[in-house]
This record gives sequence, structure tokens and C-alpha cells, in this order.
Amino acid sequence: MKVIKANAGALTNFEVLDFLRSRGASNPTRVIGSVAPSEFQVYDYLLQSSACNQTRESVNEFLCKCEKFDLAKAEKLNIINIRPSSEVEIDPIIEQCENRMGAEEVQVLVKTVVEVLPPTKPDNTDEDKIIQDQETMEAD
Amino acid sequence: MFFLSLIEHTLRLPPHLLDLPLDEAIKGELEHLFLDKVIPNLGLCISVYDLRSIDGGFIFPGDGASTYTVIIYFKKKFLSNVFKFMLLWQVVCRLLMFRPFVGEVLSGKVDSSDMNGLRLSVGFFKDIYVPVHFLPNPSKFGEDGRWVWMYEGDELSIENEEEIRFRIQSVKYPAIPIEPEKDAKPFAPMIITASIDHDGLGPVAWWV
Repeated sequence: MKVIKANAGALTNFEVLDFLRSRGASNPTRVIGSVAPSEFQVYDYLLQSSACNQTRESVNEFLCKCEKFDLAKAEKLNIINIRPSSEVEIDPIIEQCENRMGAEEVQVLVKTVVEVLPPTKPDNTDEDKIIQDQETMEAD
Repeated sequence: MFFLSLIEHTLRLPPHLLDLPLDEAIKGELEHLFLDKVIPNLGLCISVYDLRSIDGGFIFPGDGASTYTVIIYFKKKFLSNVFKFMLLWQVVCRLLMFRPFVGEVLSGKVDSSDMNGLRLSVGFFKDIYVPVHFLPNPSKFGEDGRWVWMYEGDELSIENEEEIRFRIQSVKYPAIPIEPEKDAKPFAPMIITASIDHDGLGPVAWWV
């Protein structure tokens, strides 16, 4: 084996998930198809991650909208993968966050992330149920 | 976290793959070779992403089943059909690698805790360690086998199986020991050292 190019481009978690889906990993039976068990492990991990509900459009939109922030490519990639929804979560991702960005700028960035990138669990059925249960209990 | 790596590899296709289309057969062989394996300095191979080029090489003298050589010799019509499985193929392909970069923040689960720190998992990869000096300061190891962060009078514990954010400090590819020590841990070809000593890192429950 000869390595021609060790780094031929980075992929976001979403792109990897999309690739595995296209290989047939979303098939519920997991028997048919050419997906290896190790690939299923990656698929399962990504399904739990922020990538599970992202679409090509939402990622592109985020990349357009974060142009105005002075972010490195690796930082954008990391933000898309983690989807930080508060200032404290974004702080470790951005190198020297306090020196490079003002508090307001960070707030705008977090707002952009929350607006553009879909949350991990969009169907809050479980939470809704709990709230409903609580309400009925209170009513009783 | 995931990168593509362009590699060139020479491989021989065994005759039993004769009924498959060439690219499928080669991809299968490559998957067999690389999938779920660590390549030093490239990371853990997740998938064969695509094949960029396939070049037919040559037959090594004495390699392959002789019957096929006869077929090639006499039935030139089937040359392309049979010939390709007799050759060594030089393939250029892109592999999908798991190779987090230093400074990257990942999300995973706590696999286990002991006196030396934490062991973390991202499901498909479990050789991620947080040594004691990368735990938030001050932390102490409780008698119940959990690490606890002493934060302004509060005791914030790190439970097993809890979702945790961590930052990559280093990725190492140790060489295979020639004479392993007697009580050595199982050999890990890729070891990631991570830190949770920063605001926003550690169990997600601490911050959300």
C-alpha cells in the first residue's frame, strides 16, 4: 500500500452518515446489502449525533451564514458536527474564543447555529408526553 | 473527525470472484483488507469511499490456476473476461478514515473510570483516554469508582455511559511490541488522549 495523499479532504459527520445511508445502512433488517458490521457501528453512532437530522441544504446554509465570522475551516466543521446550542458549548471549539470574538458575536453565532442546524430530536414526542402527563396529573 | 485518504494498492484477485463485475470484486477485496483496521498515521478505516482508477498489471510467473492460463491462450475471445482475474491490479482509491485532529471537540460516552482517569467511547472506537491531569481541577476519585469534579462546593460526578464532550490532545500510533510484557493491556494500534479540562467540556449534563 502506498499513501498518495493522507488528507484528501475532510468530511462532516453528516456527509459520512449520508454516504452510509446511500450504501444501504438505513435498511432496518441489516442483512441484505453490502454494509459491514463495523460500518453499522459508525452509522449507529452518527444516528445519535447532531448529524442525524441535518440536510445538505441546512449545512450549506450554515456555511453561507457563518462567512461573516472569522472562523477556520476546522472550526466550522467542528461546529456542524457538534451543533453547540449555547455559548459555553461553543467556547472549547473555537480557539482563543474570547480574544477573537466578542461576547455579542458569539451570541449571534450560537443563534445562527440553533436556527439553521436542526436539533437532534425534532419530534419531542417523549418530552411532549411527559409534559402532557404532568399537566393531567396537575389537573387531577 | 472523518477524513478521506488517497491510497494506491496492488492486489491480486482470487479466481472465485470471477462472477462479479471487476469494480465490485476489487472493492470487496479492499474492504476485506482495510475495513475496521488502523493504518498508522491515517487512522481507523471506516469505508472504501470510491475507486479512482484501476490499472491492470501483470501476471507473476507461476501465479494463478493453470487452467485459466490455458483458456487465455486458446480462447482469445474470452481474454478480457478471464484475463482480468489473473492479473495483479493496481488500484487508486479513497478510504474513509476516522482520524480526529488535535483540538477537535467530539461527543461520546464514558466507557469506564479508574484511578488513572477515564476511558471514553465513540461506539466504533474505544481507545480514548482522559488521564488524571486532563480532568477538571480539582477532581477526586470517589470510593464508588466515579470521578467527581469539586466545583465551588458542588460535587459534579461523571457517570458511566453518560454523554460527554472531550477535546483531542494527541493521537498516537504505537508500534506493535515485539515482546509484549506479561500483564500488558491488549495492544491498541491507535490511542487518543483527550482532555475535558475546559469550560463546555465534560458530561453534557454539566452545561445544558
